[in-house]
Amino acid sequence: MANSQPVVALYDAPMWESLSRERMQLQSCGHCGTLRYPPGPICTTCTSLDYRWTDLSGGGEILSWVRFHRAYFDDHPPPYNAVAVRLDEGPIVVSNLIGPEPEGEWIGRRVSLVYRRHLDRTQHAFMLSEQP
Amino acid sequence: MTGSLSGVASVIGIGQSDWVGDHKRVRAGERPHDSYGYGAQAFLSALADSGIARDEIDGLIVGPTTAYERVGELLGLNVRWGGQADAMTAVMEACMAIRAGLASVVALVYGNDQRSAQVNYGGPDAQGGGAFLAYVYHAPWGFTSQGALYAMMARRYMHERGLTQAELGEVAVAQRLAASRNPRALMRKPITVEDYLASPFICEPLHLFDYCLINDGGVALIIAEAGKARRAGRAPVAIKGVGRYDLNRGATSLEPRLLDYYLPAQQAVAAQVFEMASLGPKDMDALQIYDSFSLHIPLALEGYGYCPVGGAGQFMRETGISLAKGLPVNTSGGHLSESYMQGWNHQIEAVRQVRGEAGDHQVEGCRHVHYSSDVAGKAISIIYGA
Ligand SMILES: [Zn+2]
Repeated sequence: MANSQPVVALYDAPMWESLSRERMQLQSCGHCGTLRYPPGPICTTCTSLDYRWTDLSGGGEILSWVRFHRAYFDDHPPPYNAVAVRLDEGPIVVSNLIGPEPEGEWIGRRVSLVYRRHLDRTQHAFMLSEQP
Repeated sequence: MTGSLSGVASVIGIGQSDWVGDHKRVRAGERPHDSYGYGAQAFLSALADSGIARDEIDGLIVGPTTAYERVGELLGLNVRWGGQADAMTAVMEACMAIRAGLASVVALVYGNDQRSAQVNYGGPDAQGGGAFLAYVYHAPWGFTSQGALYAMMARRYMHERGLTQAELGEVAVAQRLAASRNPRALMRKPITVEDYLASPFICEPLHLFDYCLINDGGVALIIAEAGKARRAGRAPVAIKGVGRYDLNRGATSLEPRLLDYYLPAQQAVAAQVFEMASLGPKDMDALQIYDSFSLHIPLALEGYGYCPVGGAGQFMRETGISLAKGLPVNTSGGHLSESYMQGWNHQIEAVRQVRGEAGDHQVEGCRHVHYSSDVAGKAISIIYGA
């Protein structure tokens, strides 16, 4: 086994750099405003090539989740969870839920983006939001 | 239909390596063959089954795990047309090449030493990431393996459509029953839903029995132009319809999985394939469904109209999907219990069923078999018939 590694292609690098500053950014389409995840060269909605890097609000909702019971990476000893979060701005990201876990149903719960040092990088994670 | 591929080509030969024998040898620490060796064995058995001479073959498609030129070289095949493809695409492309007059007899050859070569489908060396970014993109969060992608999909699907864990277990149970009657299957000890529920989670909510096997082996088919097939020695099995539709948008961020469960792709393919074959779901005597994970089965049952959307759980539990009850699905045991030949074993099982040569796991009076796969949002269907 070995540690997990991010895919850092050309368009991913600024996103990882923004994570290291604990201010995650994604590309916002210069024409229609659609956010790109994973980062990429073209808007999948309107095909515009224009974009600017924009901050995220940090809010989202759990779409689904799993719990790993098998070891795949040295840096992720089981059991651990993974969540698919729909960001308020639209994209779906896969991350980890840290802190207290929901009692009962996870799907539909509001979560907030937080930053976590992991190995030599800073990556996103999510925590349950305060109940309104 | 203009340009229809219905009835253009037929399968005249099928073959495989000795999955069971080689599995024993691999588990004992041997490496009986490499991918090329398994493919070669399967090819020889398919060629013998077809009754044609090797020099009648003028097309060659090899599986994704072997190099096209090297397979052609090893098998001594100089051909007019060829390429490399997965199982379902290979069958479709063979029909296309024959329809276009580019080839008249196409050999499809697959060999894979994934078990003895210790291929990983998750973790730092996850296989397939070059073609499917979702397989590697979420690794920093420990989210890896194709099983995890289906687990993520299964959790939300169960939440939205009401499928229970025990209902999902019907898949593993039905396919193990089929395998128990199939001497070519690796896992033959029958299991119950209780056994399923008691089996360990790998990536929760998926249990061990929701996962495919990993084993070595080969599969081959000989597909011939329909007229030529009729003149060949034995009863050909016709390819009556093929269809394909891919959901690529949002693939890496899992949108077509988590929001659509691939349903729009399958519905589009259902319309194509059933129209092309002039047949419908009610005409199908058995289904072969690509089952890297059990979840593929409820998705396909709903996607192809075998039950209402949201009705797969009830269908599997009440109507049944086994050789004992209902609509038989994966009648050889599939990837979960027979052999993980990446969709190739489903093709030869479909042919065996239509030929009536499936022995103890034969579906009585089987005339039409529907094959479906939805791997990574690429929905493909093939209808085989007498
Ligand atoms: Zn746009």
